[in-house]
Amino acid sequence: MVSHIRLFFLILIVSFPLSEISAGGGWPQPKGRGFFKLSQWWLVADQHYTDRGLIDPNLTNGIFISSLYAEYGFTDRLTGVLYFPFLSRSYFNNTISGTTGEVLTPGEAINTIGDTDLSIKYGIFTKGPVVLSATLTLGLPVGEDSGGSDNQLQTGDGEFNQLLQLDAGTGFKVGNLSAYANIYAGYNNRSEGFSDEIRYGVEAGVNLFDDRITAIVRLFGVESTQNGSLDATTSTGTSIFANNAEHFTFAPEIAYNINDRWGVSAGAGFALSGRLIYAAPSYNFGVFFKL
Amino acid sequence: MRSLSALKFLPVILLFSACIGDDIIEDLVPERLIITNTVDTLGIDDTFQFLARFTNNVGQTENRDLDWSSSNTNILTIDADGLATGVTAGEVFVYAEVTTDEQTIIDSVQVVVDMETSEPTTQERSGVIQTTSSYALGGDFIVKEDGNDLLIEVASNYVASTALPGLYVYLTNNPSTTSGALEIGAVEVFNGAHVYRIPNVALFDYDYLLYFCKPFNVKVGDGQIE
Repeated sequence: MVSHIRLFFLILIVSFPLSEISAGGGWPQPKGRGFFKLSQWWLVADQHYTDRGLIDPNLTNGIFISSLYAEYGFTDRLTGVLYFPFLSRSYFNNTISGTTGEVLTPGEAINTIGDTDLSIKYGIFTKGPVVLSATLTLGLPVGEDSGGSDNQLQTGDGEFNQLLQLDAGTGFKVGNLSAYANIYAGYNNRSEGFSDEIRYGVEAGVNLFDDRITAIVRLFGVESTQNGSLDATTSTGTSIFANNAEHFTFAPEIAYNINDRWGVSAGAGFALSGRLIYAAPSYNFGVFFKL
Repeated sequence: MRSLSALKFLPVILLFSACIGDDIIEDLVPERLIITNTVDTLGIDDTFQFLARFTNNVGQTENRDLDWSSSNTNILTIDADGLATGVTAGEVFVYAEVTTDEQTIIDSVQVVVDMETSEPTTQERSGVIQTTSSYALGGDFIVKEDGNDLLIEVASNYVASTALPGLYVYLTNNPSTTSGALEIGAVEVFNGAHVYRIPNVALFDYDYLLYFCKPFNVKVGDGQIE
């Protein structure tokens, strides 16, 4: 049962790039065990949520992230986690005159590594009906926060942040099916004048077809504390890196376990509401390996 | 395992398939001809050089052959280059005309011919900034010349959203795009009166203020300079 629950989280934790990782829920890795995933995440948006939560159009922008996720148990309670977007591409389209057909503004793209997360998770309660863990994540601003001719292309936010998160999870049965549920909340302390964030989420998963298929749904959100000093005159970030960006997202995912070690997963994220963030679905696909 | 070997290349394939595409914007604006200078009173036997600007259907300034005429050549005559001469006292209209593939466009100004040519009077234009998006933006403004500079005086009823990052203001003849526009600079005032001073820009060089968010690549609002 525990291994099944762990598998659920190992799949879902790498479904979202950047700092949306819930780092395995409440379950740390056993000592010497690990989980690794190569993922592709992408989002193409021609509209965004405004500061009032309404949807406005924008020039089509795209973000494509190829990442490596690694989780390794140093002890039965202490797990190290790495999220490394080794190739991030951010671009916007050409602007074409509908009158003359001429290119008014040529599109641009940047390809860099993205902001990287290093996490350490400690299992506070690792046994019993409910497990609880605390995770400290350091968001390293190694991506590009001002690329392109007008500095509007980003593969990172340019700030070093520290996210402290608590996860509580439990496993249970639905008929003969193994299932789990997890809830988390965290506070993300951001630097460089960015507002801090409160992050939260709930998720649930169930194993189907003799544990070959894992179906997962999650709801998660980010709320800005609006305490940043970075004002509109100096802030250039938008897309998924904006200051004071908020969203509440529904994200289904499905994973196929090819064998005991290998599997593939695919998912999508749909922002049900948001502020200063793209209003378009994101998609992900990955191949994972269990050590 | 062979299938997994193939799968590992999928992210790379997806990444490089993220090619830059095309977004088409509707940027059609009316062709426009405007006489850009005038004189209230032209002295008898004095001359005045009229100037005019033509902008095409995407707001680009073009040099076109213009036809200049007077409503009464007994009062004022004007040659093919727009050089007017006062003849006798009276009131008259000066016309500039251009014929394009689509239409004939005429602009006119009224001129008084009298004993002495008057000093040029300070002209000004005005407009109203209005949002074209869901972001708060609005206010009145006046545009006038100060020597070789153009002053844009934004009124105290101006307000703009502080939440929108990377908001810039432009002068343009096409409010749908920043292409060909003159970037004034980043918006630094979000409430109340303020002034922009733009060197070496004449009063009738541009017809719109344009507010544009660079990071989202989206127009936020505009104001036609009447």
